[in-house]
Amino acid sequence: MLYDLKLKLDYTYDVPVSGGRHLARVFPLHSPGIQKVVAAGLTLSPQPAEHSVFVDFFGSQVTALAYRSPHDALEITMTARVEVERDDPDIDFSPDLGGLRAEIAAHWDLGARSPHHFLSASPRIRLDPEITAYARESLGSTTTVRQAANDLCLRIFNDFTYDGEATLVDTPVSEAFGLKRGVCQDFAHIMIAGLRGLGIPAGYVSGFLRTLPPKGQPRLEGADAMHAWVNVWCGREAGWVEFDPTNAIRAGQDHIVIGYGRDYSDVTPIVGVLRSAGGHETTQAVDVIEVP
Amino acid sequence: MPELISAYRPIAGVTDEMVGADGTVKPGWRDVMGALDQLGAEELNARFQRADQYLRDAGVFYRMYEGSEQGEREWPLAHIPLIIADSEWQQIEAGLAQRADLLETVVADIYGENELVREGLLPPELIAANPEFLRPVVGVEPQNGYHLHFCAFELGRGPDGRWWVLGDRTQAPSGAGFALENRVATTRALPDIFGRLHVRRLAGFFRDFRNALTGMGGNGSGRVAILTPGPHNETYFEHAYIARYLGFLLVEGEDMVVVEGQVMVRTISGLKPVSVLWRRLDGDFTDPLELRQDSEIGTPGLAEAVRRGSVNFVNALGAGILETRALAAFLPAIARARMDTDLLLPNIATWWCGGEDALDYVRDNIGSLLIGPAFSTLLSIDDNGETRDGTTATPQDREDLLARITGDPGAYAAQEAVKLSTAPVYVDGVLEPRPITLRVYAARTPNGWSIMPGGFARVGYTLDNAAIAMQRGGQAADVWVVSDTPVEQISLLAEANATIERNPSGNLPSRAGDNLIWLGRYAERCEAMVRILRAYHMRMAETGTDTHPLLVSTTDYLEPLGLDTVEPIPQGLLAIVDGAVRSASQIRDRFSPDGWLALTDLQKTANRFARTIKPGDDATRALTILLRKLAGFSGLVNENMYRFAGWRFLEIGRRVERGIQIADAAAWLSAPEMPDGATEMLLEIGDSVMTHRRRYGYSLGNLGAVELLVTDPLNPRSVMFQLTELLEQLKALPRGLVDGQLSAPARLALQLQTQLAVVETPDVDVAMLADLSAGVAGVSESISMTYFG
Repeated sequence: MLYDLKLKLDYTYDVPVSGGRHLARVFPLHSPGIQKVVAAGLTLSPQPAEHSVFVDFFGSQVTALAYRSPHDALEITMTARVEVERDDPDIDFSPDLGGLRAEIAAHWDLGARSPHHFLSASPRIRLDPEITAYARESLGSTTTVRQAANDLCLRIFNDFTYDGEATLVDTPVSEAFGLKRGVCQDFAHIMIAGLRGLGIPAGYVSGFLRTLPPKGQPRLEGADAMHAWVNVWCGREAGWVEFDPTNAIRAGQDHIVIGYGRDYSDVTPIVGVLRSAGGHETTQAVDVIEVP
Repeated sequence: MPELISAYRPIAGVTDEMVGADGTVKPGWRDVMGALDQLGAEELNARFQRADQYLRDAGVFYRMYEGSEQGEREWPLAHIPLIIADSEWQQIEAGLAQRADLLETVVADIYGENELVREGLLPPELIAANPEFLRPVVGVEPQNGYHLHFCAFELGRGPDGRWWVLGDRTQAPSGAGFALENRVATTRALPDIFGRLHVRRLAGFFRDFRNALTGMGGNGSGRVAILTPGPHNETYFEHAYIARYLGFLLVEGEDMVVVEGQVMVRTISGLKPVSVLWRRLDGDFTDPLELRQDSEIGTPGLAEAVRRGSVNFVNALGAGILETRALAAFLPAIARARMDTDLLLPNIATWWCGGEDALDYVRDNIGSLLIGPAFSTLLSIDDNGETRDGTTATPQDREDLLARITGDPGAYAAQEAVKLSTAPVYVDGVLEPRPITLRVYAARTPNGWSIMPGGFARVGYTLDNAAIAMQRGGQAADVWVVSDTPVEQISLLAEANATIERNPSGNLPSRAGDNLIWLGRYAERCEAMVRILRAYHMRMAETGTDTHPLLVSTTDYLEPLGLDTVEPIPQGLLAIVDGAVRSASQIRDRFSPDGWLALTDLQKTANRFARTIKPGDDATRALTILLRKLAGFSGLVNENMYRFAGWRFLEIGRRVERGIQIADAAAWLSAPEMPDGATEMLLEIGDSVMTHRRRYGYSLGNLGAVELLVTDPLNPRSVMFQLTELLEQLKALPRGLVDGQLSAPARLALQLQTQLAVVETPDVDVAMLADLSAGVAGVSESISMTYFG
């Protein structure tokens, strides 16, 4: 599948900010086997005083920006063409939980894809006994790790209500779990916390999801969304498998990856330190258009 | 045998630093104790008090976090030094130099090739789950090639008589400055004994490290700065002290900005590059953009500067991971694999429960172990909160503990419970044994690791090992490394054939300049308010009422300034004093200890008065005392501060505030509708009663007062005088006068001064005075924009 992507982030500040530094993680990830980036570009308004790019520990392309003159708005637009190559055969090579433990213990490696990075608490995810207990129920009816992850993914979809008003970007995972409500970020964090509680390595995926308009209606500009889902290490043989608990599916042709991390804090689209007294407003528009 | 020794009773089965198991007294101790004996108890107490007085006068303090007592504490010096023979010390030096090299190998591998993990020498989960593993600097080789430059080690001596490493400090080791103060205070008390023994000096260590840091800065253009978390940190005193001692800039996160990958310090002369940062804050707090996003003491972009190789951190970001308790379990094997040798100085036996064999050992030996969090960076003996002592645990406790460990073995580490050696402390005229640990510092120099010869031991306040923690009442003692032969005499002051290097005056960080201005302003505002309040209470005492029109007017004048005349020492006045202390506390590195003492004394006195003083005569006397203390503070600062830019900012603050206060008071008291006595009060507030009488006799009431306090260029209390001084100081600042061009604030000051110079005194009216006051405040704002923005 070939897509044209557009992400537009607008910030308007109550009081002009005198400067600031930002890190933007908005480019789709080039990762053959999952997706290839054909072309990508970024336009910024106003023009920053500094603009550089680096690749972070988990492989995301990061754009570093610095502003030194006062401005009251910031507009970041990313456009890209991406070819999704996911080929996710529905064959389960994963071991059971005991087998997984042994495989992890035998995995003497610290590379970015090593399961060891994804087993313990991370900046946004504390291990929570209640979430672990909830996740543990997925072990009873399944035998392999991949089945357990899949079961947990479905249960979160069924037990939780999608509600854009219930949580904020920094709502703690335990609180969202208690509410049984939230958005893709909350569901992903809950699933990750549950899997880690069981000893299954799990990470956070930030990206885009192509959405189809209701039958007979035209597609609305900017109507697609930034999205988040979960990456699960299902053993040496099966490797990483991506689950989307918001939609109760495995990541497929409609999922386009920006980056992988331990939780949202590793792949936040814009991290910024502003020198400002006032607040700000953000709007976000995403288009994922299939190229015929 | 000296009586102090013969009366000393070490604990059976525990190594003692002074008396051997066979009763022999170790070298050096006999000399010291013999000398103490000769002095006698009375003289000894007087000398120990002298040491304490020195520490108080020098303002040595550290900050308490634990328990009910918060705030600054005096440095708890145990007066008797710990004596160690140089021959033994040299073994410690060799062992620590080897250990520091090993730690460098380990940290370079953790952030580099990961061969230790791949070869099975280091478990990956110990790194990946470690909060001190800083991913943004993975793969980044420090610009100068080394991660570690300054380390500290905590050493304890076990019952077998050997020294053991109890912990490695690589994050931001504190205490080297305290070691210096231990030495100064102890030698104040015992100068004769110190002079007789060949005690190795500490200054050489600091000289070597200063030169190493300066050398790292590159071709002379780079600057070395000490990065402090700020005055709220427990060891801020020491940061300021080391900065003063070594002549380095003391900066906080907000003083710096990263431009094109280069770290710059905001100074009053503009942005200046920094190439070496000796950090005294944890690595993850340094950059809110890439590390802890909730850090309010960091500088956005520092991690990027590290990646670009434009700055060297001492120690490199991420080096704190070496402090992880469980890591010690793997160091002996890594030493054998990488250096083909055993550790010269072993570390305390440690087991990481994440390994199966280790877990089995811990199960079988829990009764002789301390068990705590694997990722803790505290010493087991310092960590009563989290670490359990298996030797004293009940069988039930042990079982519960084992159940918790089995549930998550990787989260726990165990260390052997060691009975630490004891050394004598002086308590009420006799010596008593107390457990001790050594803190030893190592600095990387071009000639290898330099180890500080002594300086710092921690001494427990009871016989319990855990009582060593300073936060819980433990004490610090000097450590004398005593040689058989004469030692090198070193001072940082005089180096033979040294060329004179002068630090340029423009190095003042903007934040320090801002604080100096505010210190000057608060001190001056305090004086102005005290004078008004004194005039008020004097009149109240005379008239016996507060309904006199002039007193009512005073109450109305002070009310919007936050001062309530019902209170003899108003809360608003205490707030101004607090403001001065707060500003001064931010810039302890630029401040004489005497000035600080004078200021805190003023604060204490004002607070005491606020609780006890009655209106009228009583208040008049109290306010006069405060005025005298204020004058003492101003005098100390003015007479002792070098006329660098720092002093100028202080002076500018004073002039600005005095200009505003006098203009405001003149506008208030010279207004035509004011009651009788207003002119006298104005002169009194302006401290110009005598001058007025001499210059005008009794002839020229109100007009004379206005001339004297507003337009007269010779009266040091007049607005005109403040403007002239202000202009001079502004011109003398960096960027104040460049190629005949005045800076923006200097231009404003000149404008005000010129306007006032051409005014005839009778034309001075309330509106003009109000404009004048606002104009001076405008100069202050312009200074902020120009120098601190």
